[in-house]
Amino acid sequence: MGKEDLVSNNPLRALGLEKEDGNDGRRVGLVMARAGLGKTAILVQIAMDSMLRENKVLHVAIGEGLEKTKTWYDDILSLMNHQDKSIGSYQQIVDEVMQNRMIMTFKENSFSVATLEERMEDLSQQGIFKADCLVIDGFDFAGAGSAAALGELKSFMKQNDLKMIWFSAVSHRDDNRVSANGVPAPCHEVDDIFDTVLLISPEKDEIRLKTLKCSEACSVDAGKSLSLDPATMLIKKA
Amino acid sequence: MSVDLSNVRNIGISAHIDSGKTTLTERILFYTDRIHAIHDVRGKDGVGAKMDSMELERERGITIQSAATYCNWKGNNINIIDTPGHVDFTVEVERALRVLDGAVLILCSVGGVQSQSITVNRQMDRYNVPRISFINKCDRTGANPERVTRQLQDKLGLNAHMLQLPIGLENDLAGVVDLVTMKALYFDGDNGEIIREEEIPAELQDAADAKREELLDAVSMFSDDLMEAMLEETEITSDMVKAAVRAGTLALEFSPVFIGSAYKNKAVQPLLDAVEYYLPCPTDVENIGLDLDKNEEEFPVSNNDDDPLVMLAFKLEDGRYGQLTYVRTYQGRLTKGDTIYNVRTGKKVKVGRLVRMHSDDMEDIDSCGSGDIVALFGVDCASGDTFTDGKITCSMSSMHIPEPVISLAILPVDNKAQINMSKALNRFTKEDPTFKTFVDHETNETIISGMGELHLEVYVERMKREYNAEVEVGAPQVAYRETISARAEFNYTHKKQTGGSGQFGRVAGYMEPLEEGEYEFEDKIVGGAIPREFISSCDKGFAKSLAKGTLCGSPVTGVRCVINDGSFHAVDSSDVAFQLAAAGAFREGYAKAKPKIMEPIMKVAVEGPSEFQGSVMGSINQRRGMIIGTTEEGNYTVVEAEVPLSEMFGYSTALRSLTQGKAEFTMEFASFKPVPKSVSEELVKKYQDEKKEK
Repeated sequence: MGKEDLVSNNPLRALGLEKEDGNDGRRVGLVMARAGLGKTAILVQIAMDSMLRENKVLHVAIGEGLEKTKTWYDDILSLMNHQDKSIGSYQQIVDEVMQNRMIMTFKENSFSVATLEERMEDLSQQGIFKADCLVIDGFDFAGAGSAAALGELKSFMKQNDLKMIWFSAVSHRDDNRVSANGVPAPCHEVDDIFDTVLLISPEKDEIRLKTLKCSEACSVDAGKSLSLDPATMLIKKA
Repeated sequence: MSVDLSNVRNIGISAHIDSGKTTLTERILFYTDRIHAIHDVRGKDGVGAKMDSMELERERGITIQSAATYCNWKGNNINIIDTPGHVDFTVEVERALRVLDGAVLILCSVGGVQSQSITVNRQMDRYNVPRISFINKCDRTGANPERVTRQLQDKLGLNAHMLQLPIGLENDLAGVVDLVTMKALYFDGDNGEIIREEEIPAELQDAADAKREELLDAVSMFSDDLMEAMLEETEITSDMVKAAVRAGTLALEFSPVFIGSAYKNKAVQPLLDAVEYYLPCPTDVENIGLDLDKNEEEFPVSNNDDDPLVMLAFKLEDGRYGQLTYVRTYQGRLTKGDTIYNVRTGKKVKVGRLVRMHSDDMEDIDSCGSGDIVALFGVDCASGDTFTDGKITCSMSSMHIPEPVISLAILPVDNKAQINMSKALNRFTKEDPTFKTFVDHETNETIISGMGELHLEVYVERMKREYNAEVEVGAPQVAYRETISARAEFNYTHKKQTGGSGQFGRVAGYMEPLEEGEYEFEDKIVGGAIPREFISSCDKGFAKSLAKGTLCGSPVTGVRCVINDGSFHAVDSSDVAFQLAAAGAFREGYAKAKPKIMEPIMKVAVEGPSEFQGSVMGSINQRRGMIIGTTEEGNYTVVEAEVPLSEMFGYSTALRSLTQGKAEFTMEFASFKPVPKSVSEELVKKYQDEKKEK
């Protein structure tokens, strides 16, 4: 068993995300949860899924260190390997897959879309890394200028030839505002930007990954939910 | 006479290169009356820092060997090891941390947490060393201790909090506010030796109150008394805060941060106080020994002078009067004239002279007790050996020794140099386990290998200066390795019948890749196909074959050899015959086992202004490097990558010219990975050509 099996056995298949980064458009996704519930773990699983399918993923971590972000990938991949003992030459797969990833970390006050664009252009022009997908963890949706930046998202994606961007956002227990689709604040007013919105929600003894909004490409209907393993934050196989 | 161990501190000083470790140590020695004048690290005054006793260290302004010293601060005996910051000398740091109870991590107030700080912090984690941080160089332009404290939290994951606030920064640095006593401290006199305590300046009062509140919140969980006082809003004494900080530090759950400028003689004395208050004494730390009489059962050493002696030799040096062995005593007492027992070699040796080291000076002492760090004369041993008084057979756990990644050929210029070179190499390999040497029998060249270009450069220089051994040096070579990637069968018969007694042996079985470890041998022979007495000969034959692979002549690792069949001859079979048969079997199997060449991959971190980020990444990309990621903070960026060592030669020059000298890089060994096909073909061709030439 090798990389291909890792792709087809991936529990993320249940979300049908492979169609999201297909050729039929540029998709924007969002993972929401209250602080500390595992948004990064889900983003990394989405990134990993894309990397395993030979997409180049640029992981932008705002307010998080490089080592910590890298450790997320190492841990998730090692957990996937643990779950599936039959994976062939593990180290070889790791080396191969990690070539499809680059991490950029910014301090909260150092990040701007303009800087990101400049860095991406630099990487692409020198032939170092041309991202297909972007994962942005820690974007401040409540911050000044965020609405303007999100408004230009589609043209930004087109300009950089990106198939997919996934964001994470923190929701707050004491803020009850939601959009018609059920997307909580602070993203309730911009939910039309997102094709897919996932919400991590603790329920009794388990953690659910709810699909609040889903593009037509996605195989899960809005309102459906998947179960997460609370120990590993991996999506449980049905 | 027994020393009260609660007054003993064994501490290390570690940091990124050029953070001011040696300058700080120099000030510590001055304030504790060990030296009576302060000298510059780079030796501008012709003297040089006390702890950089090696001529080379003074010239380059870096610490190469860790130096031990001893001082007394307010009745506390402090043993200090000043350790090198350059990763090539990492074993020195490792050794120091193994025997120390606590450490001071020094950071530059401008550079902050740099790559080597991360490495050193990881090493401290590995040995569970409680640490305090000192943010040095607060007089420099751009100093920002708050930012560095945040980096300690973010990058190193430490629960770090400032115990002081600066009074002014950069050129205006005047002193510090102590957040425990809530007093302002100023350092007067020509060398900052007079401490003036005053009320906190009015303009800093609010900031100090807020910071103290933050500090109390952070440490209250380590002390019930403090927590209670906070909840009941009763008086919070300095002693309560100190006790809480100490408890958190010893539990490795809190890391106090101090600030100052060693160069400007500001706030070094409060750091010494902090060593006393917050770092552990030998009895606060549990050190584990392995009882060899009980199948290496772990036991905590007692730190009791009355118990049998246990001590660890952690560093050897060729002193002016012969071999000097640095030891840390874990329990028992050693007196001059005692006979001690080397657990590894089983040899007994009499301790003729016992000294306390003060860099390259020494003081004779009559005895030492538990928790002490001293040096012995005339004791022949290797670094890492355990000594006892013979009443107990135990060993202290071994130290982590990294594999060398770079080698170069050296050629003595004449006969005299040849003799001196042998002496030097013999000494260096004993002193430093990361430095290795051997003679390549095909080329007759002496090869030295180590952790980096600077590492080997320093040894070649030391050969010339200390041993008068002039050598010609070849170009640095990467220490490649070979391994196999598939299982392969072998069935080889060694048969020789050319007069006299013949040689016969047949060895059959298979070899397969070994995930972890270098080599394994398994005997699955049934029915005596190979007699018992020749099984070890087969093992030897395989093991010898590992020395040189057939692709590029590098050592072979990661191979498991299994024998399951064979045959012998009653007269002609011998140890030699089976060794040769195994060697033949290895050659046969190896060729079929898809051998590949592995190269050392280095973890490289380049730090510099963000404007050069693109050029830096381009330069790494050109060198077959894989960029892991970038960290951007203001105008400063760190690019982390994994790059083959073979591509890193001359990188410092290239980086300097790319970034106008504004960026710097560090690298350390990460792993061995297969070389790309094109490189592999090149290496194989080069090796074949070299073989043809011989």
